Amino acid sequence: MSPKNITPDLASPAIKGRRKLRVLGTAITLLDQVKKKAEADLGFDLEFEVLDFLTCQGKAALSPQTYDVYDQCFHNLDIVWFWGSLQPIDTQRITLWDKVSDLTKRGGISRYAWRGHGDAPVKKLYVQPGDSLGSEPQRHISMLPTVYNLDSFGYDARVFGYSQRQSESWAWLFDERAKGRIALVDEPAIGLFDAALAAEAAGALSFADVGNMTVAEIDALMALLEDKRQKGYFHTMWKSAADAGQLVRDHRIDVQSMWSPAYGDLGGETPHFIEAVPMEGYRAWHGGMSLRHGLSGDTLDMAYEYMNWWLTGWSGAVMARQGYYMSVIDPVHAHLNDDEWAYWYNGEEAQSDLLGPAGQTVVKLGARRSGGAYLERTNRIAVWNTVMDEHNYAARAWGRFVERVRGVAP
Amino acid sequence: MISQPGEKPSTQKRYELISRVLRNNIHSGRLPEGFVLLEGPIAELMQSSRAPVQMALKMLEEEKLIQRFDGRGFMVGQGTALTSPRRLDIRSLDLHVPDEIDEALQSRSMWEQVYDQVEQAVASSLIFGEFRIIETELSAHLGVSRTVVRDVLSRLNERGLIRKNQSSHWIAGPLTAQSVRERFAIRSILEPAALKLAAPAIDYAAVERLSRLASEGTSEFSETEDFEQALMDTCIAKVPNAEMIAVIRNIQLPLLAANRALTKLGLPRDRFAADEYRSLFRLIERRLIDPAADYLENHLKVMAQKSLARLKIVAVISESRLTVPYLTKIK
Repeated sequence: MSPKNITPDLASPAIKGRRKLRVLGTAITLLDQVKKKAEADLGFDLEFEVLDFLTCQGKAALSPQTYDVYDQCFHNLDIVWFWGSLQPIDTQRITLWDKVSDLTKRGGISRYAWRGHGDAPVKKLYVQPGDSLGSEPQRHISMLPTVYNLDSFGYDARVFGYSQRQSESWAWLFDERAKGRIALVDEPAIGLFDAALAAEAAGALSFADVGNMTVAEIDALMALLEDKRQKGYFHTMWKSAADAGQLVRDHRIDVQSMWSPAYGDLGGETPHFIEAVPMEGYRAWHGGMSLRHGLSGDTLDMAYEYMNWWLTGWSGAVMARQGYYMSVIDPVHAHLNDDEWAYWYNGEEAQSDLLGPAGQTVVKLGARRSGGAYLERTNRIAVWNTVMDEHNYAARAWGRFVERVRGVAP
Repeated sequence: MISQPGEKPSTQKRYELISRVLRNNIHSGRLPEGFVLLEGPIAELMQSSRAPVQMALKMLEEEKLIQRFDGRGFMVGQGTALTSPRRLDIRSLDLHVPDEIDEALQSRSMWEQVYDQVEQAVASSLIFGEFRIIETELSAHLGVSRTVVRDVLSRLNERGLIRKNQSSHWIAGPLTAQSVRERFAIRSILEPAALKLAAPAIDYAAVERLSRLASEGTSEFSETEDFEQALMDTCIAKVPNAEMIAVIRNIQLPLLAANRALTKLGLPRDRFAADEYRSLFRLIERRLIDPAADYLENHLKVMAQKSLARLKIVAVISESRLTVPYLTKIK
């Protein structure tokens, strides 16, 4: 060994701290339990930065130097990828790539399943020659598919009735019975579609392609929303599943956009508040992880280790306990007990009280998941969360609407 | 001839105004026989460029009010060889310039002076939505009269950047995906056709120079907009059809401005587009115009898709980044 090699490099610290991987994402996946378990399994530290959807997306696009892995949804790749903030993922470094479901790899769970309007993840999955994203399979991908779910709305059966399960409709988000006690999610690529499905279901509007609205259609939708707002229909707009759950607990709303963990948070204590199975179908979303542009060397290796770890089942089981499905299913099955698997994935009656990610009861004995088994639910996609061609126009109009609702809400 | 509010002030008409001022002053004797009229000082006095002054002098020469002589410039009158040229500073003559003509002349030069900055500001605001332009604010911001502001606005209107709404307010934007799509559809029809028609008039020496600069990747050619502009100036705009050039420029205007605004916001460079322009310049350089036109058509289709993608990402940028005081966001 030459003397040069013995001399410590002055640029690096004398004592190396534990290696660290920075993950930017949302409350969907960045749970404390996941962090602790991953750190223990992987042998390096994780730094989770948890933000709401819009703040997270803006930071990912404009400040890529602040994170290593970006954990978000496929629909916002349209923003973050085209800011040049991410780098392609090599599927040859993803151990379980072959096991990732066809929902993302091919566009649907079966050849015959209806794909849904808007941006199915497959349309943004593969990095095409020329750096654009498309559905033509390639070795490199933009985002590793992880969790997904089928969203709907929740309603108070004391207002809408207990025996209405067959006629649950997105139209209820504009229903006069709930006037003044309605809330929507504030993210434009999500909440706008709940509103659009509601407008169409109510017969007020119809869209040629609800997943890619024209300016005139957006104007009409925003005018309808503004009319409802002025008539006092909307109570507020929420940012996170936790906010939504709190609105139910505080008895402030009768119907609202609602995400799966919020039902769990209610702990089965509000049996009158029901997760709808809309006859028009679900609004679907798919989460995943991306690599920051410029990430290399040891940190890049850690990022691949972390992503591979995510597919091995433990975290998928945690996700299942808040109602989310995983892109690779079998390892999740192995990490759930029979009662959990039967309830969350197979839509069967709970044979015991089921616990959530934080150890609290989220499902009571005897309950049955709304919408049934995961194949059944995944077959009923009306529209995907989407960043439409007119997103810039729609998001600004939506933003003004959100401000006005917040201005009048307490 | 005095410009009406909103009427298009044009360079063609300026020479008429200048000739009128000179003619009146010759008739009244303020411009005495033998006085030597020089382009430069007249242009300065009238706050004009030289071209309209040349035209005005030519008119007066045809009217036999002035004549060429054995020296620089024109001499007032139809003097004989005995008339001696009088070389004086024209500003010392106290020429009579009627107020309305003075204002018209001034505004004509003034609006041109401020136009580019306003066009740039308005065009790059379109991606952020719909704005109203307040005339008084614009006039205060630029430090010019309302007359000048009106001339600027009518030019913006002509270029398709602003329009009047029902309450007669000037409105700009928004640049929607639909508009981007439609503009590219027109471009992919017109620009390849113009390129073919322009073939005999293309400045091939300039294209060779560009092609070399582009391959070297000099700082002069780093952004897609630079390539686009160069292709327009050296090739497409050589088409012998002024109307076609005007249409193409108007269609391009908001797209180019949006791209410039995005680049300024820190959007990464499109290296694929730069490669495409290099290939295009090489084809043109080698006089392969038909293949170049096909290549251009395809390139514009790709650019349309990319522009739609770029437009989406603007959604994360707050419109508060816009700091031009005369643009008011419409809620």
